[in-house]
Amino acid sequence: MSDTFDHSQLPQDDALAAEFVLGLLSQADRQAAERRIAREPAFAGLVAHWEAQLVPFADDIAPVQPPHDVWLRISTALRPEKVQASRWASLAFWRGFAIGASGLALASLVALFVVPNAPSQKPLVATITGGNTTLVATIDPRTNNIVVVPAALNIPADKVPELWLIPADGKPRSLGILRRDQAVTLVLPPGLATQATAAAVLAVSVEPPGGSPTGLPTGPVIGQGKLTNL
Amino acid sequence: MESDARQLLVSALVRTAAGERTGLQTTYRLTSAKLFGVCLRILGERAEAEDVLQEVYLTVWRKAADFDPARASPMTWLITIARNRAIDRVRSKAQRKLDPIEAATEVADATPSAQASLEDAQSSAKLHGCLGGLAEREQTALRGAYFDGATYEEMAERMTMPLGTMKSLIRRALMKLKTCLEQ
Repeated sequence: MSDTFDHSQLPQDDALAAEFVLGLLSQADRQAAERRIAREPAFAGLVAHWEAQLVPFADDIAPVQPPHDVWLRISTALRPEKVQASRWASLAFWRGFAIGASGLALASLVALFVVPNAPSQKPLVATITGGNTTLVATIDPRTNNIVVVPAALNIPADKVPELWLIPADGKPRSLGILRRDQAVTLVLPPGLATQATAAAVLAVSVEPPGGSPTGLPTGPVIGQGKLTNL
Repeated sequence: MESDARQLLVSALVRTAAGERTGLQTTYRLTSAKLFGVCLRILGERAEAEDVLQEVYLTVWRKAADFDPARASPMTWLITIARNRAIDRVRSKAQRKLDPIEAATEVADATPSAQASLEDAQSSAKLHGCLGGLAEREQTALRGAYFDGATYEEMAERMTMPLGTMKSLIRRALMKLKTCLEQ
């Protein structure tokens, strides 16, 4: 390789990181750089830095509307993994029952649609209430899906509701961000599956967009409810 | 300060990470035209770009949990995935024909895009300001490389200069750019 250019300028790894980001590397050099990104946090940091610095170049690339069938292809490719939750997550389905129904009535409606295949794998349900807040959450232990349906949930427009599991040890674990106007399906992390029992409590707190930055509730807790076996 | 559009995108990615399809759908609605533009620019062919765009959003679906709003802007994260996928695709093919460099960078005069609300206006102004301090050939080389994901060999051919000269020019331009950006 020619050595006529000046190496004394950018440190070698910094130059390599920039060249990777610009796309200047040949296939072999690119793959070598990718292996270093995966293994060396310092090099990965240089790459991330150049990505952030150079991304404004993309401002000058005109957006082009992709054909509609690209989204159809994407959503079809997702379907097999996520299909179980569709009926639970249908807001229209729930809204008819949720308005004015008590938590207990809802729980018995839930029971109509759940066919447990083993006694030890019964779904859990919690009615999360407090002030003006009412939500119903069900956990299906067979799939670890958590479906949360908001019946009444009023929080400021610049905040998001976050769902927490509080097991017997009293320490809240985040389960994810909820929607104020729509049912959501969350997945119970595998490490928490044994903690989600009839002794645990679900709670909802008000958090900044993106959720609590600390891993613990930072805003007011607007509702809570105990999990019970159906 | 973050714009509403950017906040919407961050929350869509967070919901995607939680396995919500509507999170991915919102992400797609907000960003697919930009990412398709990026892929199309590198791949030059609609059918290829559509394939890669599909891969990009399936990658987003699987990796949304890796996105950390405290560390990267959501558009930077998404554009990086799109460029990497498109460049990998282009490298896996034997050869491609790139336009001459004049045509490749002619959009440079365009006014900043209307999508700016999703991007960080401050870092954009900074990069464009620093590029203004580079020689014209240096600007053309960096822009051409970024837009098309072109290799040193491809850039040398397009700018009709020896490979060593091309490398030297780009590395000098990067050094100047870094010095300016860090001020």
